[in-house]
Amino acid sequence: MSNHPDDYIKPELMACCGAREIRDGDIVVVGTGFPTMSANIARYTHAPRAMLMQESGVFDARPARPALSVGDPCLNPGAAMIGGLVEIMGIFLQGGWVDVGFLAGSQIDRFGNINTTVIGPYESPKSRLPGSGGANPIGALAKRTLIIALHNTRSLAEKVDFITTPGYLDGPGAREKWGLPPGTGPQVMITNKAVMRFDKDTKEAYLESYHPGSSVDEVVKLTPWKLKVSDDVHETEPPREEEIRALREVLDPHRMIRIYEKRGYV
Amino acid sequence: MGKIMTTADAVKKFVGDGDFLFIGGYICRPPFAAIHEIIRQKKKDLTITRSNAADDFDMLIGAGCVKRFIATFISLGLYGLARCYRRSIEKGIPRKIELEEYTNLSLPLMLMAGAMGMPFVPVKDMVGTDLMNIQSFMGDNKYKMIESPFDGTPVMVAPALRPDTAIIHVQQSDEDGNAQMWGIGGDCKWGANAAKKVIVSCERVVSRETVGKDPSRTIVPSFKVVAVTEEPFGAHPGYTPGFYDVDLQYGNLYKEASNTVEGFQAFLDEWVFGVKDRTEYIQHYIQKFGYAQYKRLQAKFDYGYTVSYAY
Repeated sequence: MSNHPDDYIKPELMACCGAREIRDGDIVVVGTGFPTMSANIARYTHAPRAMLMQESGVFDARPARPALSVGDPCLNPGAAMIGGLVEIMGIFLQGGWVDVGFLAGSQIDRFGNINTTVIGPYESPKSRLPGSGGANPIGALAKRTLIIALHNTRSLAEKVDFITTPGYLDGPGAREKWGLPPGTGPQVMITNKAVMRFDKDTKEAYLESYHPGSSVDEVVKLTPWKLKVSDDVHETEPPREEEIRALREVLDPHRMIRIYEKRGYV
Repeated sequence: MGKIMTTADAVKKFVGDGDFLFIGGYICRPPFAAIHEIIRQKKKDLTITRSNAADDFDMLIGAGCVKRFIATFISLGLYGLARCYRRSIEKGIPRKIELEEYTNLSLPLMLMAGAMGMPFVPVKDMVGTDLMNIQSFMGDNKYKMIESPFDGTPVMVAPALRPDTAIIHVQQSDEDGNAQMWGIGGDCKWGANAAKKVIVSCERVVSRETVGKDPSRTIVPSFKVVAVTEEPFGAHPGYTPGFYDVDLQYGNLYKEASNTVEGFQAFLDEWVFGVKDRTEYIQHYIQKFGYAQYKRLQAKFDYGYTVSYAY
């Protein structure tokens, strides 16, 4: 049995939850922050043959410092292959080779649809956000998508203002109707309070585990739709010693991950 | 007629008001020398495009040069939302630009289609989302849903893009415009080849013989290129692999400045209108931040490995 050090912070737990979703040999499209940390924790623990790529054009980078963007200069030297968007998004993602994609967003609904376009009406927005970038194609075409979210009634929504990136759209059968590849879609939503999975039949997110310090009641209260709770709901397993060691000794010795605490991941 | 010229001349000759421009870069190699020149020459009503736009597009929008933007994404990366872009869309300052929105898969493929002379290209993303429900200046021609002529399944097709001019920044080019690039590519190669003509901005002009030492790195051939401009440090505050790093301090300066209309204007007055060209820009940079800071951004050279094409 693994030891569980108790001095972890919430973003570290979330990164570990992400890592546990990655299987050995997976091809993972990552952004910066959580996705890279999760994928690398997996590589240093149970999934040494998982391989990472960045949409900007990089496959199997060996950066000497944590990348601050998917176009970071440190991703260049040492990579196994460098091309561009047509290679990564076209040949690998649209070609059907990508197993896992990580996504985040300003607004996420119960079907795992994500909004990174606009808060308020499209024509007269309250807040204009960056747009899709690579998120829509990753959500459409990666075999499994992992969603990172803040757990509150603003970030989670019954219905998002704008579907930038497809989750299960309006429910069962919708992805298939639009011709998205069979068997694809969100696998899990990892928040600062809980881990939620998507029901096989209804495609709606339900509570699988609440993080230490939280509770079923709190998670239900912070979720703006009527959240279903798994029959075997339990506390999330805290970070294991080997996960924390990979994170702090190899991947993030300066603990830049603390920046997520400032962004509300507590 | 030689193609080597100043950036000012290249922009004067080959960028007209109302033109459709592809502007290459992905944090990697944004052609900032040319961006500043476009602003200095007060070009207007431009349509601009590339996947994952950043501070360079934000600046063009804030300066009022842009009418339309074929977009996938725009932010200041580490520094959050693009301020001038938000002001344009939310408040119409200095004008409300028109947006046509795609993704980092569909837009590169539309440029690829343009480069290859294809009329349109099937894309597998976007379907089922609100990206289908917003159509702007391209109207019904933003995309079409068709039945595959082969098996009858629904397929989205998007039109090929053929910009008037592409502006790219690369490591090196010969004087005819055989442009060589290495490192993260974004959609640079396809955007350049989709355009009717190309302005190549480069860190250094090299001989045709040097290009021939490693010809696999050439991303656009001379016959598509109308101008070659030598602009060392020309992508700053972005980076060029093998030459210099991203300038995070300057990125923060731009973020702070662009928080307000006045701050943004003062930034342009200092860094764009206040200097006559890239040489003065670098001089101003060194004056303001010191030579040590300038030097700190320069890459250590690590040639490592030479390629042999011998037979």
